[in-house]
Amino acid sequence: MGDVTLDGITKRYDDVVAVDDVNIHIEDGEFVTLVGPSGCGKSTTLEIVAGLTNPSGGTVTIADRDVTRLPPKDRDISMVFQNIALFPHMNVRKNISFGLRLRDFDSEETERRVQRAAEILQLEGMLDRMPDELSGGQQQRVGIGRAIVREPEVFLMDEPLANLDAKLRVHMRTELQRLHDELETTILYVTHDQAEAMTMSDRIAVLNHGELQQFAPPLVCYNEPANEFVAGFIGSPSMNFLEGEMGGERVETPHFSVGVDPAAVDVGADGPVTVGIRPEDIYLRQTAATVEQPTDAVEATVDVLEPMGDEIFVYLLLGDAADDGGPTVEGADEASARSDQLLMSVEPDVRLESGERVEVVLDRDRVHLFDTGGDARAHGVAEGSEAPTEVNADGGEGR
Amino acid sequence: MATVTGDDGDGDGDDGNALERSARRAMERPWTVYRAAFTFGVVAFVLITLFPFYWLLVLALTPLTNVNNIDFEAFGLPLPVPVPQGFNPAAFVEVFRLVPFHRFMFNSIFIGLVTTAIVLVIASLAGYAFGRLEFRGRRVLMVLFLAISYFPPVTFAIPIFRYFTGGVHLFTIPGVTAVYSPNWFNTPGALITPFSALFMPLAIFILTTFYSQIPDGLEDAARIEGTTRIGALFRVIVPLSAPGVATAGVLTFISIYNEFFFSFLLTDGQAQSWAPIVWGILNYQGQYQQYYNLMAAASLIGVIPVAVLVVLAQEKIVSGLTSGGLKE
Repeated sequence: MGDVTLDGITKRYDDVVAVDDVNIHIEDGEFVTLVGPSGCGKSTTLEIVAGLTNPSGGTVTIADRDVTRLPPKDRDISMVFQNIALFPHMNVRKNISFGLRLRDFDSEETERRVQRAAEILQLEGMLDRMPDELSGGQQQRVGIGRAIVREPEVFLMDEPLANLDAKLRVHMRTELQRLHDELETTILYVTHDQAEAMTMSDRIAVLNHGELQQFAPPLVCYNEPANEFVAGFIGSPSMNFLEGEMGGERVETPHFSVGVDPAAVDVGADGPVTVGIRPEDIYLRQTAATVEQPTDAVEATVDVLEPMGDEIFVYLLLGDAADDGGPTVEGADEASARSDQLLMSVEPDVRLESGERVEVVLDRDRVHLFDTGGDARAHGVAEGSEAPTEVNADGGEGR
Repeated sequence: MATVTGDDGDGDGDDGNALERSARRAMERPWTVYRAAFTFGVVAFVLITLFPFYWLLVLALTPLTNVNNIDFEAFGLPLPVPVPQGFNPAAFVEVFRLVPFHRFMFNSIFIGLVTTAIVLVIASLAGYAFGRLEFRGRRVLMVLFLAISYFPPVTFAIPIFRYFTGGVHLFTIPGVTAVYSPNWFNTPGALITPFSALFMPLAIFILTTFYSQIPDGLEDAARIEGTTRIGALFRVIVPLSAPGVATAGVLTFISIYNEFFFSFLLTDGQAQSWAPIVWGILNYQGQYQQYYNLMAAASLIGVIPVAVLVVLAQEKIVSGLTSGGLKE
């Protein structure tokens, strides 16, 4: 059973804590992605699972075996590297069979497994080539082949697609998913690309500053982010945040207010909150008929338009900001500056001009509230919205 | 010499003499001068390098009775160039009859190979540590190694001689026995041990440089795939550093093959006492007779293994360098 448990994993360097008390339990056969900005400790975490780095504290359990003190070779894992790391002095066949030959598999079995891997990864006919004669995508497929022939309990993947070009990356993404369906092996995948995390994973573990922020299925992270960091990190373009003040049954932001249903939100605690709203949950007033729980209309000025083809990103300036020459980001308090802007996505056929005055509404069902510490207080502030489920560091909702 | 050959076409109307003309040509087309200077340099270098071998060949082929009458003016050149007086190729066979020269060669090659193997293995481990691990005192230790390698070896002569002639009290295991240094005089151990230590620093230095350039990812990959750190060193890092290992190995072997100082000190000069080639050559000096022709022949024979090694290793080194960069 290839389940993996990280229990209180901590890694301290001289004066930096790279990984801080991370607890993750990965089920057998699950595809879990560690995601976060660079320097968040995700690669270090993976190296600790691999055994390439020793943790300062905590234990790693793979397949019900405490492997914290075992060398990498005894952990029943394999790994795919960002920099591919094929052995340049061996041809493809020898690269793929390296681990098998070290483990004294007989040559027939080795050959059978190499052929099967080559078949799965479409590397037939390339087995006798040297790594430098292959393209980047082929090299990475050999890297994956080297990982799968040993049929380990767990695959570790450290940004395996990061060095490939954009088109190949999307292609390899689907290949990896297909491979996972076929092999049904546990995969622990590291990436900074939240699109990869969203599309491939059963669950994603969001890390920041070495701390686990949320560990939950991708859509839960998207719809019910545990805190402001996850809300801002997952989703592209990222969520809008506005400074607000909770008072009575309303949240007041500098430029508009949102009615809050006491059933959905604990309104007892008045005080400052952060309002979060995703670009696709903001609507032009004239097209807002489908929104069941809209806010009052918000006056705004169109600042910049970014037509993407399938949608248009509209940068809005709120209130009077446009009249006195836009928000003065420099010198102005950053928090109030970000409360003056709103990013909205609209259908591509909507005609808007820069400088135009528009009225927009927010979908109250999709408004997130975060308290001053950044923790989520509510996902949806309208009647019938659910209070945030406890999706926290220790395991989420499972599968 | 100064015959006027007409205007050279540069239009200044000043023909001058031949010297002036060639000087002017050289200034107009300096690359011809560079090429000529280069050719001259190379030819001179080759001649100077090969001349001793030629002289050895002349000496070896000249029968012993004529050795003192070698003709240096046979070619009528302004430089003295020796020419063999007579033709006696039998000297190349005679060397093995008079003295067991093959045994001396075997001694040198055997000691060289064993020492090189020891040096490469230990220096690989050290090179791995210095090149790929972070530890306290790494730089200090490295500098210390290099500093020791620049000590004149003669400073070690007396201690090493005393040690390997035995009887130096090392320590006492209380109640059991006292431990003395072994008497390894006239055995390979007395040569291999100090040679390994003496030539280790250079090999460590070379291998450190090469091993530190191998990407970490390759070592990580090897360890994940099932090697230990040492396994990764010998299966991945060493093969990828082949040029460096070849360089260190060849330099070490040649240094030991040429070594005479400690060999002179620690053997009695007999073939069966593991004396090296130079001892063998000295053995052609008898009490009543100096076999200069045989000494020359033996010297030439002694050069052969090194010449072969250099040619082979050079090919290896070049092929290692050109077999594609190490793309991470």
